[in-house]
Amino acid sequence: MQIRNFSIIAHIDHGKSTLADRLLQATNAVSEREAQAQFLDSMDIERERGITIKASAVTVFHQIGGEKFMLNFIDTPGHVDFTYEVSRALTACEGALLVVDATQGVQAQTVANAYLAVNQNLELIPVINKIDLPSARPDEVAMEIEQVIGLPAEDCILVSAKTGQGIPELLERICTRLPGPRTSTMDFTRGLIFDAVYDDYRGVIVYLRMFDGTLKVGDKVRMMGAQRSFVVTELGKYTPKPVKAQSLSEGETGYLVANIKTLADVRIGDTVTQEYTPAPEPLPGYQEPKQMVFCDFYPAIEGDDEDGSPGQRKAASDFEELRDAITKLSLNDASFTFQTVHSEALGFGFRCGFLGLLHMDIIQERLEREGGVKIIQTAPTVTYQVKMHDGEEREIHNPADLPDPGTFDEIREPIVKIDIMLPERCIGDVMKLCQERRAEFKAQQFISEGRQMLKYEIPLAEIIYDFYDKLKSLTSGYGTMDYDVTGFHADDLVKLDILVNGTPVEALSIIVHRDKATVRGRLLCQKLREQIPRHQFEIPIQAAIGSKVIARETIKSVRKDVTAKCYGGDVSRKRKLLEKQKEGKKRMKSVGQVNIPQEAFMAVLEQGE
Amino acid sequence: MLPQALPTLPPADVRGTEVGDARRLREALAGAHGPVRSLYVHVPFCFHKCHYCDFYSFVDTQDRQGVFVDRLLEELRRSAACAGGAARPRLETVFVGGGTPSLLAVDQWRRVLDGLHRMFDVARAGEGGEFTVECNPETVTAELMGVLAAGGVTRVSVGAQSFNAAHLKTLERWHDPANVERALGLAADAGIARRSLDLIYATPGQTLEEWRADLERALGLAPGVEHLSAYALTYEPNTAMTARLERGDFARADEDLEVDMYDLLVARLRDAGMERYEVSNFARPGAECRHNLAYWRQESWLAAGPSASGHLGVGEAGGWRWKNVPRLTDWMEGVASSGGWSPAQDVEPPQAGRARAERIMTGLRLREGIDAGLLDATAARREVERGWMVVEEGRARLTDAGFHFADGVARRLMGSR
Ligand SMILES: Nc1nc2c(ncn2[C@@H]2O[C@H](COP(=O)(O)OP(=O)(O)O)[C@@H](O)[C@H]2O)c(=O)[nH]1
Ligand code: SF4
Repeated sequence: MQIRNFSIIAHIDHGKSTLADRLLQATNAVSEREAQAQFLDSMDIERERGITIKASAVTVFHQIGGEKFMLNFIDTPGHVDFTYEVSRALTACEGALLVVDATQGVQAQTVANAYLAVNQNLELIPVINKIDLPSARPDEVAMEIEQVIGLPAEDCILVSAKTGQGIPELLERICTRLPGPRTSTMDFTRGLIFDAVYDDYRGVIVYLRMFDGTLKVGDKVRMMGAQRSFVVTELGKYTPKPVKAQSLSEGETGYLVANIKTLADVRIGDTVTQEYTPAPEPLPGYQEPKQMVFCDFYPAIEGDDEDGSPGQRKAASDFEELRDAITKLSLNDASFTFQTVHSEALGFGFRCGFLGLLHMDIIQERLEREGGVKIIQTAPTVTYQVKMHDGEEREIHNPADLPDPGTFDEIREPIVKIDIMLPERCIGDVMKLCQERRAEFKAQQFISEGRQMLKYEIPLAEIIYDFYDKLKSLTSGYGTMDYDVTGFHADDLVKLDILVNGTPVEALSIIVHRDKATVRGRLLCQKLREQIPRHQFEIPIQAAIGSKVIARETIKSVRKDVTAKCYGGDVSRKRKLLEKQKEGKKRMKSVGQVNIPQEAFMAVLEQGE
Repeated sequence: MLPQALPTLPPADVRGTEVGDARRLREALAGAHGPVRSLYVHVPFCFHKCHYCDFYSFVDTQDRQGVFVDRLLEELRRSAACAGGAARPRLETVFVGGGTPSLLAVDQWRRVLDGLHRMFDVARAGEGGEFTVECNPETVTAELMGVLAAGGVTRVSVGAQSFNAAHLKTLERWHDPANVERALGLAADAGIARRSLDLIYATPGQTLEEWRADLERALGLAPGVEHLSAYALTYEPNTAMTARLERGDFARADEDLEVDMYDLLVARLRDAGMERYEVSNFARPGAECRHNLAYWRQESWLAAGPSASGHLGVGEAGGWRWKNVPRLTDWMEGVASSGGWSPAQDVEPPQAGRARAERIMTGLRLREGIDAGLLDATAARREVERGWMVVEEGRARLTDAGFHFADGVARRLMGSR
């Protein structure tokens, strides 16, 4: 039987999930009716057991001209933060379907993913989806694919994942055009881990693609990068129902369970080999997870009035609760890091590292939802490298940790290469935005009539907050972008400190380019003046570089907290209003006597073009 | 005259309310309880919807006034049966608000007044009674004032809001400022001795000087008023004013300016002999609105008309609160289908904690303050130390400074037990 390992890559919403479902159905992995019934059944069981298993790899069978094929779909994470994970999933494949929406055309993520696939030497099948839509323009989109990705327009397969049109042709193309797995290059066993999920009952479920040799239940295996060993207790495949297997052999894809307690023991991209007859070297391409974005989480306070009037103050969730929640979450997401921080102004909290911004948002939300804690989050910052006078290299994840000026030679910041796909008429505006963000222009490429791609190198710090929103608004929603960190670059960077009521608040410090420091300082003070509620006393807000104050604002003291109306006889209404004011109080962190709301911590990111 | 059986509740009556609560409210009303000496009547008609208004009111098409009064009289009849056992229970205060009660046609007014006196023993002015009708300056006529005065009305409250044409326009309040004086004159001529004025300040764009001019105009009226309610413009949800604010048509008045306007108001009226007896209400000694005081002192009152709120006190544990359904047609249906029972929603049964919170909330807004025994001593001391409250002879009252923070003080004291 022939084996085909492949992924579907697409820009978000171009129909990856719909097409995957349709392919499953078309291969009669399950009939249309069964599909739903069975799928739901297993979902119910999962729900009862309180787990959700997302199948990252599904195996189905298909016949073409009497020949039987085993097709392994390998899922890829859908976001730019997970480029490395995507690249590992692609390594597990020999081919990929490049899906492009027939109405939207090639987008930034399409290109980024296509390049990833090309770098992995994958065979690409261009698929134009949604041809059932009246606004579909398959011919133009085929030309875009040829123009930008270099795949011949006539090779594009036109499908509708919705109606099923073109699906048989696509399946045939998968079987006949994609190459089979390469033959083993050695006598040892090597499997690539391309995903892993945590299950409360069985521990970690590892998804792997076997490249060399065979794994059997009962084998003692070794993760070559993580340097941990486990005994295999279960092997299998999702079809999409889980089906146990006694072994997995070269070329195959499946899952492995080995009593692994935490995701921290498993690294995406790592190689699994036999403990007693280990392969001499792992499969290439493994990297340690690299956190690029950092922020602090502190427990929020509740109970005080916004104006600082003392009420029944209590920490909304205290530090220990926060620690529990974070520790628990780290069991099933090993790609974020955390360590205790203590700040003079804010007390105890955690500095956490994330793969990217989306990842940060996901973690913050899960902590609150699953961990039941209320947190104050500080503005995200990037990693900086500092070269000290004595040659020592430091990596800092917090502007507050920047050594004193005069003690170091240079600061380097992460640089990304960014691809922006946009309508031609918006080019001027977007170029201006990029210039303001210290971007270096690299190239401009024609995509199709009216659409272009811009390539820039830009400091990561410049895009971590509102860059994408700005891009969307400048291009009326048509612009898309994708980025990838390429390295570090030295620049004239300084630390801007913020003093609230005379107290420096480290969490509000930012590292900025010297040329922009004054403007940013002024803007930041203004923002804080708007965000911090009036208190019972006047609050000075200052921005300073070293000991030099470069901007200043004052928050006037509060003068009223009373609604004129009493709503006549509708006493309930007035009561509910007061109760609502009480509940609606913002999430705060107190610095000395000043309560700073969550939004103020984010204000440092506003660039205000 | 107690009702024999409680009619079954149609489900339409009980929005926002447990069916059981609505039934128990009727039982409470029909059963024995303390005296009910006040009545509020809501007339939902207006000739134009003002942009800041979130009262239940709509533009009158005249044709529904007759049926409205029919239902109102039915509801009043049932209410009278519940007011305390007497054949014609005594009412010390009546307040007809809206909407625009003065928009009700004179004939309809006659029916309302006749009915009211048939069903209730409404105290006359000489007996210490207070009977207020809210009037829009544009709709006041000599004939109407005559009918009202003859019907026992002792007090009019005239919605002036502002004397500045531009600000009236901003509020989408349609009347000629000159008509305020005319309306007051007609009321006085008819023998209605107590007159009050409503003003609104902190309208977008209004300056302190313009507000001062409004105040002077109000104080210089002849005949004059002895009571004044002045409200800082409040942006209520779902009003045109709020939509315009959110759209960016204008900016909310600055907090400092609003406070300055309030301070000016308090000082100027004090000068003129009108003391603040509630955050937004001012009166010459003895001219306080007794009906409103009944609300703020948590006394009992009956409610009739769509969206009217009632309260039936039952001692320490507080009282029943309810609100009539707001839509005219729903209310009419509810009254008609149940033999005059108020179609109540949002029924809240007595609950001691809630009653205490409400006493603190409304009582602290009054100059007379509240029984200090209601308060947690530590929380009270905190407010006293900040200079916002004084406790004397067992009563806790806000200071002049404290009046600026009445909500904050109430929130903290309400929550502290
Ligand atoms: N009309 C039409 N809609 C489609 C087709 N394929 C997907 N969609 C719709 O496009 C949207 C995005 O599809 P989805 O599979 O979730 O995209 P993904 O983000 O790439 O996984 C959904 O609303 C789908 O129903 C298609 O062939 N025709
Ligand atoms: S007249 Fe009064 S009730 Fe009628 S719309 Fe204007 S403010 Fe509202």
